[in-house]
Amino acid sequence: MTNDPMTNDLTTKDRELDLWREQWSGVAPLSPEFLRQVQKRIKVQDRRFRLGNLLAVAALVGTLILAFYQFSHYTSRLEKGQATGVCILLLVAGTCRLWLMRGTWRAETQSTRAFVELWQRRVLSRIRGLQIGIYIAIGWLVFCAALAAANWATIRLELMGHPIVYIAMMLVIVLMLGVIWFGAMWLRRHKVAELSEVTRLLKEMETMND
Amino acid sequence: MKETRRELEQQFERILDEHGAAISRLAYSYEAVTGLREELGQEIALAIWRALPHFRGECSERTFVFRIAHNRGLTHVRRRRAPQQSLDDLEETDEPADTRPHPDEQLVQTKQRERLTAAVQSLPVAHRQMIVLMLEGLSHAEIGEVLGITENNVAVRLNRARKALKETMGVPR
Repeated sequence: MTNDPMTNDLTTKDRELDLWREQWSGVAPLSPEFLRQVQKRIKVQDRRFRLGNLLAVAALVGTLILAFYQFSHYTSRLEKGQATGVCILLLVAGTCRLWLMRGTWRAETQSTRAFVELWQRRVLSRIRGLQIGIYIAIGWLVFCAALAAANWATIRLELMGHPIVYIAMMLVIVLMLGVIWFGAMWLRRHKVAELSEVTRLLKEMETMND
Repeated sequence: MKETRRELEQQFERILDEHGAAISRLAYSYEAVTGLREELGQEIALAIWRALPHFRGECSERTFVFRIAHNRGLTHVRRRRAPQQSLDDLEETDEPADTRPHPDEQLVQTKQRERLTAAVQSLPVAHRQMIVLMLEGLSHAEIGEVLGITENNVAVRLNRARKALKETMGVPR
């Protein structure tokens, strides 16, 4: 019996393990460019992170300013209704996002297992987010339809005045809805596949205990 | 603010200096293709950089690095289900060829190393993690910290992973 210097465990001298470790130490030597490449990627990522945050904040603030401007400067029921709807939509979407992100901010411990569990929670949260997103979108369409019905007299006048513009606008909206729908469905399929993969990984970790 | 950033950069460079080779080997256990492996190595380094400000020294630096590296490796496996290298395809390995004139013994060693690495890559992820941490010389306590399991559990799992590795390599138990 000898004291293994690598593991600090009292073990029988393990020649096989020593040989493996010797062989393993020669695997995949580090590229001399490694540090420089990593530093380059850090710079790019920092820039992307700042730009992404800036754009998200600008989009949120811009939409809110536009909605408030519309609310205070226009007097018709249709425009006020639109502005209120956008504000409520942003509020509801933001609240749902925060609610779904409960428990997905950080791992409970720092281990690999905790990381995989956190990963599973995040994927689940994304799938639920997509489902709720679909309900919110349906709610938004219903709201728009109700608003249009309530203000049909105003809309009808404008529709008669510029029918081509309105038809083109409707086509663009329908096209956009189709793209968003297929995008959401693709993302959902992708996330469901990811969930089954992560669950399989967790099970694999569990079965090692049996 | 700038000083903190500079300190972090220095700590990061030191970590890469000390553990860079281990990161590269660990990336190898998750990815056999050279270009993708280098990319995975860089991703691991990036993840370490992002996590570094939150590192409070509750565990050893080595444990911290391996934990992040394995987590990144797992996400890599998820993103890219690469065909595992078969033990019969060792001739086609993309390991850089040793151009030095080597005697028979060196050739045998190279073959053995290729056999070991191919066997490690073909193990299920959970076994692979155990084996790589063992080969990197982590203690049972450190492996437990990295994977979030008890030391006793480490011993049991390690035993199984080792048996699986031997079976894959075709070594009689």
